[in-house]
Amino acid sequence: MAKKHDDNPENYPALGRWLMFLDDPKVIKRIVHGIYVICAVLFAMDFFYYKKTYVEIENYTGFYMIYGFIMCAALVICAKVMRVFLMRAETYYSPKDTESEMHPDHDLRKESVND
Amino acid sequence: MIDIFPPFVIYIIAALIVPFIPAGRLRSTFMLVIPVVGAWMIWNTPTGLSAVVPFFGFDLTLMRVDKLATIFALVFSLAAFLANLYAWHLRDTMQQVAALLYAGSAIGAVFVGDLISLFFFWEGTAIASVFLIWARRTEGAFWTGMRYLIIQIGSGVILIAGVAMYYASTGSIGFEAMTLPMTSPITWGALEIGIWMIFLSFGIKCAFPLLHNWLQDAYPAATVTGTVVLSAFTTKLAVYALARGFAGTEILIYIGAIMTLFPIFYAVIENDLRRVLAYSLNNQLGFMVVGIGIGTELALNGTAAHAFAHILYKALLFMSVGAVLFRTGTAKGSELGGLYKTMPLTMIFCCVGAASISAFPLFSGFVTKSLIVSAASKEHYYIIWGILLFASAGVFHHSGIKIPYFAFFAHDSGKRPKEAPTHMLWAMGITAALCILVGVFPAPLYELLPYEVNYENYTTTHVITQLQLLMGSALAFTVLTVYKIYPPELKSVNLDFDWTYRRFLPAALRYISFLVSATFGMVTGAINAFAANMVHRLHHSHGPDGSRAASWPSGAMVLSIAALLGLALFVIFFS
Amino acid sequence: MDTMTAIYVAMLLPLLAMAGNMAFSELKNVRDTFTLLCAMATFGCILIVLSNVGNGITEPVSAFTVFKGIDIAFNVEPLGLMFALIGSGLWILTHVYGVGYMRGNNESHHARFFACFCIAISSVIGIAFASNMFTLFLFYEILTVSTYPLVAHKGTPESIRGARTYLAILIGTSIALQLTAIIWTFVLTGTLDFTQGGILEGHVTGWIVPVLLGLYAFGIGKAALMPFHKWLPAAMVAPTPVSALLHAVAVVKAGVFTMLKVGIYIFGIDFLAQTNASEWLMWLAAYSIIAASVVAMFQDNLKKRLAYSTISQLSYITLGMALATSMGALGGGMHIAMHAMGKITLFMCAGAIYVKYHKTEISQMTGLGRAMPITFGAFLIGSLSIIGLPPLGGSWPKFLLMTASVDTGHLIIIGVLMLSSLLNVAYLLPVVGRAFFLPAPEGTPTKFAEAPLLCWLPPAITAIGCIVLFFYAGSIQTFLAPIVSVSP
Repeated sequence: MAKKHDDNPENYPALGRWLMFLDDPKVIKRIVHGIYVICAVLFAMDFFYYKKTYVEIENYTGFYMIYGFIMCAALVICAKVMRVFLMRAETYYSPKDTESEMHPDHDLRKESVND
Repeated sequence: MIDIFPPFVIYIIAALIVPFIPAGRLRSTFMLVIPVVGAWMIWNTPTGLSAVVPFFGFDLTLMRVDKLATIFALVFSLAAFLANLYAWHLRDTMQQVAALLYAGSAIGAVFVGDLISLFFFWEGTAIASVFLIWARRTEGAFWTGMRYLIIQIGSGVILIAGVAMYYASTGSIGFEAMTLPMTSPITWGALEIGIWMIFLSFGIKCAFPLLHNWLQDAYPAATVTGTVVLSAFTTKLAVYALARGFAGTEILIYIGAIMTLFPIFYAVIENDLRRVLAYSLNNQLGFMVVGIGIGTELALNGTAAHAFAHILYKALLFMSVGAVLFRTGTAKGSELGGLYKTMPLTMIFCCVGAASISAFPLFSGFVTKSLIVSAASKEHYYIIWGILLFASAGVFHHSGIKIPYFAFFAHDSGKRPKEAPTHMLWAMGITAALCILVGVFPAPLYELLPYEVNYENYTTTHVITQLQLLMGSALAFTVLTVYKIYPPELKSVNLDFDWTYRRFLPAALRYISFLVSATFGMVTGAINAFAANMVHRLHHSHGPDGSRAASWPSGAMVLSIAALLGLALFVIFFS
Repeated sequence: MDTMTAIYVAMLLPLLAMAGNMAFSELKNVRDTFTLLCAMATFGCILIVLSNVGNGITEPVSAFTVFKGIDIAFNVEPLGLMFALIGSGLWILTHVYGVGYMRGNNESHHARFFACFCIAISSVIGIAFASNMFTLFLFYEILTVSTYPLVAHKGTPESIRGARTYLAILIGTSIALQLTAIIWTFVLTGTLDFTQGGILEGHVTGWIVPVLLGLYAFGIGKAALMPFHKWLPAAMVAPTPVSALLHAVAVVKAGVFTMLKVGIYIFGIDFLAQTNASEWLMWLAAYSIIAASVVAMFQDNLKKRLAYSTISQLSYITLGMALATSMGALGGGMHIAMHAMGKITLFMCAGAIYVKYHKTEISQMTGLGRAMPITFGAFLIGSLSIIGLPPLGGSWPKFLLMTASVDTGHLIIIGVLMLSSLLNVAYLLPVVGRAFFLPAPEGTPTKFAEAPLLCWLPPAITAIGCIVLFFYAGSIQTFLAPIVSVSP
């Protein structure tokens, strides 16, 4: 597991260090707000261009966005309900299942930047 | 005889040579050269050529070169090259030989013009690929491999049985378009059953709903490099076979629609990211199957193009998750998170793959999936069109966001793995570049498609509606995550249809065998007792000292000896 | 050399080898080399027959008349010739393997062992070229008796018990049932000669036909048709070379060969088809195929598992005859060759594992693949051939049998063949998978350490043979074609 105590950002690759601003809660908040703004703008776009459609339903303003939002929210909620019925322990089928066993080391090169 | 050299032969020869090259850079280079040579051969084989070999009383068509076959063969070669580059570090002879034979069989299969040769390569892909799972060398992988093998070989066995029926009824073994009989099964003769069996065998490899579990079972179980190889060939070979044999079969539209639909639910709650990818692979196959079912030129072009793009971005996603697994030892969402800091390049490549599979404008999925979706609306399958839209949004949800988010962002797992090794970065980088290239300049890909393409992708409507759809999906993810409704990644397995053959059937069989053996034991016990009693009584009355022994003529002796022999046999047999 | 002389010489050479074994019993190198030379010469004689006759059918030549109408006579026809080629050809390899096995394993009574082996081979050639049912029966019984000491070779109580079951079932069925059927046939027709198109047509009708067929089918115990199959697993107590050549090739193939001969030359395929007499046999064979495979899945002893697999595979050949079409009979005939090559490979591998590591149970072989890659590699190829996968010989007969089942309208038989293939996968491939891919338990050798050369080379050769047979299946089919065409 994590060796937090000697976790030194100096060891990270430069790109990774630069990306560390993503850890900042303020930045995350900004990204979330950014997504809201982009959605609003895209929704508004529907008023400004000629939409070439084949299916009746496409003509409703913002159909695609609303459809995408509602269906995906429904998808997640359905899946969450499915978990109640379908979720089992990792050893459900067998204690020696690929699910519950470790991936063998001969197939890996586990290396950490802090080593 | 053969005037052109079938490209699969190159792979088989290479597979024979590989064990004699010392493992190391030389061998890895050799593994890279082979797909290049193969692709060069395919590129230079003019369409329209065919090679027929007389064999076992049949004329086997080893080469039938047309555009449909060529595009699959080319992308298979490309996938083999990229997978071998990704596996540059590999020193396992068995996996290398298996990968070559597997790619060779798949390339061989797309060029064949008859069903018997198809069967050869069909089984070839089954046998070669299992070694990539077994190579993990754990007990779990061994049993997964056995299940995979039985299902894959089963598909081949169903194929050859179907071919036998087809051949016995029509006298032909040609692999041409077939008509799936939709009349009542009671009226079916051997031909109808044969065609259905061929269809079923394609369906197993194509992971049709309820026949799909081998896919989600096997791909997360294979080795890091093995999964990348596996993801390219088997299912796309099945897509090719369906496109060749059953284009325009309406039932495929509905099968495909269900295929795009149900895996996304599982993908949302699945923890193992490689299995999430396997579910999303299943969903992407659904798009191709719908395209085959619609069967118009536009739809078939869409299927071929989507298969091409899909192989690349799916390989890219498996490579990036594989790289994470390679460095951390796990691919489970519940164990990962925060890896972007130390694996930023892998993260970026993963995002390119995610954007491609989600069909963002400028990425490969955008220019290929739209052909199929448009074909559905043009042919007035509106409900199917709605389902495909939903599935597209759902793909973005679980593959496009979930995979990068849980692997590289989400909560910090504290893992600080090193960036993936250079050769893996190169493999991912080239694949990512290809994904973008196809997305930005689709024309060269469209050139390769089986029919002429008259389709404009980058229209205002298309770009904006697609972005709206995807951002709607992203919005749902954001809102649900912010309000903590989104289901967390949990260490678990989710029951799928494989429960029937991993749990229910074995239990049922155990119960039946218990009943049968108990009954059998009772019956044989009674017979034994009866026989012993009979011998004893006969001996008493007819034996040498018995009361009746004196009065028998010698002719009857012979008969009784024969009878006794028979009885003795009976007793020996049951004792 | 003319054909008949070649046949006689081929039958006598093994006996010469036996005499040599007795004479030089203490000089092991001389003895074993001499037998090897005899084996090669025997194979040479059969090759001479092949070059003389090709796939033609010769007139019977009587060697000895017992009484009027009953001769000991021989002739050459493609099926018998193929059987003789397989038997004598694989004898060479098995002898080489047997030498390696017996020495590597420090078995006793080498001379007796090889002597009995020689008699068995001689009688196999007699069976192959017999031109009437009487001659065939005679050699059939010699084969049974001569292999009895081989099964009991180890002399342990277990092997004596196994050998007793072996002898009792084989002799019992052949005398009680087969001999009855032969006498009955003679009474009905006045002849026992193998004739193209059969001899029974016009002499029997109605229920007698299936009953007579039943007497033959069960009387030919060597075909191991259920329920008379128990002798085969019982015979697995024998040393592995015996199991390999005799109980995967010579003895069991003598059984199904007799079955085919009876079906083709006594009853006649067309006669069987007209009377539907063999339909019950087809279902019984189908049952045997599935049931034996299921039993095989639960055997942990490798040789026992292979024995049950053999029972299942032999029923393919019976099934081919019982389908009563020329395609089915051809498929059955071809399966004799394909299965022989595949199964002998598997048995020799099992023996090699035993010689080197003394392991007999599959569960003990976990992780052994790294030490014995050649042996387990050959086992894999043999298994794939038995399952019927390309590019190995075993795939063709299955295709022919499937086509034949469609022709006769028995689509369920196709289902049986499919299920059988999957069962074969389920009981054969785990052996290889475990050996190569499961983590080895403590104490398992992981460095390359193969069995002695003479033990792994022969299975490697037969494994390659399985691949070669795939490409020459067409030739075998053409070669066998005359047996099912009515005019010779």
